[in-house]
Amino acid sequence: MNFLGRIAAAPGGGAGLAILGLLALAAFSAHAFFPGDPLRIAGPALVPPFSSGDFPLGTDRLGRDVLACLMHGAGISLLVGIAAAAAAILLGVAVGAVSGFAGGFIDECLMRVVETFQIVPGFLLALAFASVFGASLPVIILAIALAAWAEPARLTRAEVLSIREQDYVASARALGMHPLEIAFKEILPNALAPVLALAALMVAGAILTEAALSFLGLGDPNVVTWGSMIAEGRNVIRSAPWLSILPGLALMLTVLGVYLFSEGLSHALRARP
Amino acid sequence: MARALTLVRRRLLGSIPVLLLVVALTFLLLESASGDAADAYLLSIGGGDAAFAETLRQAYGLDQSVWARLWLYVQALARLDLGWSVAFNRPVSDLVLERLPNTLLLMGTATALSFALGSFLGILAGSRPGSLRDRLLSAGSLTLYAVPGFWLGLVLVIVFSVWLRWLPTSGLETIASGKHGLARAADIGRHLVLPVGALGVIYTALFLRVMRSGMAEIWERDFILFARSRGIPRRRILLSHVARNALLPLVTVLGLQSAAMLGGSVVIESVFAIPGFGRLAHEAVSGRDAPLLMGVILVSAVMVIAVNLLIDVVYAALDPRIGGREAGP
Amino acid sequence: MPLHLTRRLLLQSTAATLALAAMGAKTAAAAGGGRLIVAADSEPKNLNPAIVASNGVFFIASKVIEPLAEASFTGKDGLEPRLATDWEGSADGLSATFRLREGVTWHDGKPFTSADVAFSALNLWKPLQNLGRIVFANLADVETPDAATAIFRFSKPTPFQMIRNALPVVTSVVPKHLFEGTDIAANPANNRLVGTGPFKFAEYRPGEYYRLERNAGYWSEDQPALNEIVYRVLPDRAGAATALEAEEIHLAAFSAVPLADLDRISKVPGLQVVTKGYEALTYQLIVEINHRRKELADVRVRRAIAHAIDRDFVVRTIFLGHAQAATGPVPQNATEFYTPDVPAYAFDVAKANALLDEAGYPRDANGTRFTLKLLAAPYFSETRQFGDYLRQALAKIGIDAGLASNDSAAHQKAVYTDHAFDLAVAPPVFRGDPAISTTILVQSGLPAGVPFSNQGGYANAELDGVIAKAAETVDEKARIALYNEFQRLVAEDLPLINVAEWGFTTVTRDTVANVGSNPRWAVSNWADLAVTE
Repeated sequence: MNFLGRIAAAPGGGAGLAILGLLALAAFSAHAFFPGDPLRIAGPALVPPFSSGDFPLGTDRLGRDVLACLMHGAGISLLVGIAAAAAAILLGVAVGAVSGFAGGFIDECLMRVVETFQIVPGFLLALAFASVFGASLPVIILAIALAAWAEPARLTRAEVLSIREQDYVASARALGMHPLEIAFKEILPNALAPVLALAALMVAGAILTEAALSFLGLGDPNVVTWGSMIAEGRNVIRSAPWLSILPGLALMLTVLGVYLFSEGLSHALRARP
Repeated sequence: MARALTLVRRRLLGSIPVLLLVVALTFLLLESASGDAADAYLLSIGGGDAAFAETLRQAYGLDQSVWARLWLYVQALARLDLGWSVAFNRPVSDLVLERLPNTLLLMGTATALSFALGSFLGILAGSRPGSLRDRLLSAGSLTLYAVPGFWLGLVLVIVFSVWLRWLPTSGLETIASGKHGLARAADIGRHLVLPVGALGVIYTALFLRVMRSGMAEIWERDFILFARSRGIPRRRILLSHVARNALLPLVTVLGLQSAAMLGGSVVIESVFAIPGFGRLAHEAVSGRDAPLLMGVILVSAVMVIAVNLLIDVVYAALDPRIGGREAGP
Repeated sequence: MPLHLTRRLLLQSTAATLALAAMGAKTAAAAGGGRLIVAADSEPKNLNPAIVASNGVFFIASKVIEPLAEASFTGKDGLEPRLATDWEGSADGLSATFRLREGVTWHDGKPFTSADVAFSALNLWKPLQNLGRIVFANLADVETPDAATAIFRFSKPTPFQMIRNALPVVTSVVPKHLFEGTDIAANPANNRLVGTGPFKFAEYRPGEYYRLERNAGYWSEDQPALNEIVYRVLPDRAGAATALEAEEIHLAAFSAVPLADLDRISKVPGLQVVTKGYEALTYQLIVEINHRRKELADVRVRRAIAHAIDRDFVVRTIFLGHAQAATGPVPQNATEFYTPDVPAYAFDVAKANALLDEAGYPRDANGTRFTLKLLAAPYFSETRQFGDYLRQALAKIGIDAGLASNDSAAHQKAVYTDHAFDLAVAPPVFRGDPAISTTILVQSGLPAGVPFSNQGGYANAELDGVIAKAAETVDEKARIALYNEFQRLVAEDLPLINVAEWGFTTVTRDTVANVGSNPRWAVSNWADLAVTE
């Protein structure tokens, strides 16, 4: 709690926490307020917002409840963002660590692969990947992760390389600790800190990438995401602008919340003794 | 100078395996797709029988094995031949040369403007970290940084093209206008405003933030404190020491972001119907056109490499430790 | 300018309003004709309509290259002459004779003769064209006794009714002198078109526009009314509406303006919505069924699904009224063949549930009877929306349908080659005659890999018999009776489910005259189209 308190105390951190808390609340209570499939056709089509008690935010082209979609969409957007960032970090840390520890030829080869993924525009890669394997939630998460893992890999490797040379590692070695033990107990935990600071930004990036993919028609049709809501709303953007503006604002608020949280986080990390 | 040449040569040689990897990965990716170029073509013409599909596959060379085709492609590539696009029935290099300028124009303008504006605003914010001006600019930039670019594009079109009628909705120039010279340039400029705006806002915010946080850090450094204690005017310290040193990480970010910007232009090109690289890649994927997709990704990769190389050279020129000594501590 | 108001034009005009509009148009034509800017959503890779008979190609190419005859609201058999002036089939179905228009020249100045027709038929339509392959399957030879007569000889009886119905679609004539002795598939004239039509192909800037120019030597005097047609490439559908409103384009056809936006845009001053001009371009919304699935092989389950679909909702909400509920495999506006006398499936969830219970698929603890894989064709936003709707409609009767998202090529492969689907939503086109469209969706024995054909593994010997018999029945009445029987059998056994039929809409500036002047208007030659400003 103390750490969360420190984040909240940092400039913007409180607002970030509040936004993310609200989102989590929306995502978790969505099933309580709107049980069942949010894509269910619930009423007449294109009810404007604030005009009907049954549909506070109106309905879309097919008569689906916009509020239900927004709340369920919060969960999916966060899920995709967190899962994709986690997958990217996992892959990146694994490759970066192996590369940093092994050195030599393996390092050289792995770094070429990392470089490959860094010079190919990530969004193009995700786009091609999602169209080739069909847009389902796991494919989309994987596609976003593939486009984003190179940076944590590079960072982990650099950290491992620099920590390896530090005094406490040398003394651990002198004490006769097993190399694997040194790697897992001494080096990796310290190398992870800057990578984790990157995590929040990667979540934000992943949420935006998912939205852009959905916007181009590469979303999972079985679930509702904000990106797919914007894409659908786009066709009626003139006669029913709220259908694309509302999810757009939700998206913006979420990403802003994640950024603010990440600033607070790095503040709190820096303030740590 | 010799150092720079060595750097360039080493980096170019080093990028060859990377580019080969790009080719192989792209090729295998498209190879594992469901449906091939013949399916895509049949679909576009509204059907055909099985014998016809077989004829198409033979004509496209799809009857050969995966590895044979990859090998043929790499061999052609060694002769700097990007191959033949089956979806467009034209050489890939023609298509790439046709679309590349559009994307470069869009991205180049967006990058240049956002870099200039972002670093300028960053200096404004970072000149007095913690001031009201700094807080406003920082909060504003964070909000803008969170806006999805494609969504911003949609909103901009509604406001500036449909409501106000100030600017065109889409495209890169008025079609078949027959304009030349300055008139044409002005026409293109008008078309660029909205897409560049949608693409550039996010990067302006990014550059602003990087510049500002870099400056905030430098203000705390010993050599600045020393300079201030010596009574050097604040304005001079700000420009020739703080801002100058903070510009370096900004240039690095520019290099790191060049690939991401190329990717981001895909969606913006789609919103504004600009026939650029992003749309070409999209068309290549939906047409299952492996040579075209490889061509697009390969050329993008080469561009990213080139930009980063250029930045290294610029970096060397900007870095006080390599360049002018007088700026250092 | 009464001088320009020719007698022929007055005679041809189908209604007083059209004549009035044409008067205005003529004035403009004399004053310089003007440029029409049209939205185009795709850039066909092969633009030759003699090889690719698809609406995407016709939309551009039909202004340059003409068929023997075009569809018409008023003409005999729904046709009006183009390059042929008269046509007749023999009683035995073994020959068809076409009288050709005289004094017509190609855009490059060479004269048009019967040799061009014979060459196109034997070297393009029959061997290369997607539809011509069916219509002219038994074409043995084309005789050209003189420059203005072409006699088609068939090896087996071929119903002239079918050929007639197919004339506007399959008979685009290309110049023999540009194609003879070349590799036809790779001929540059497939993209730089040379034809006899009212417009010449002038310029193509990939990704930007196509430009067509007035053909001053067009055989129909005083036509075309326009000087120029520019097709602006706007691949993103939502772009067309904004471009129209911003007055950057004059016209967007094929429902390029989303249906949901029509109501609003029809109220924008200076814009109008035209629904005429697509009567012979009917698309059918169908549910394709994979009969290899045990559950779906049971006709009770198929009927249950048919009862679960609220066609009224589909027409009202998805198509916003711009469609008709379908009763069977032949659309209602194909009056020649349509019969309403078929089994109907009213929207009735209780009955659907009862049928599924009867078929032996009770609900489990979650209320689910079984799960299905549902693939909605990604080509139209309406097909995707109907996929979303169908998933919800099936949930109500305890069928859990998971939607799979595919792009066009992957959808094509999954459904028509790999058969990796249980239900699929498809939008086939009705092409004026059952023999060249809807029958292919239910007849058996087609090899895998043929798009828009029966790949659901359905086989019904009785139905196959009717289709085969109709294909060689020359007598028109007998042939129609066979197709009535065909409709009854399909509606009875439901090899697929016909949900709705729709045409398209055009949104245009109100300065554009003669929009929708024939039943295939969007893909016809636009010689009478005019801009008055």
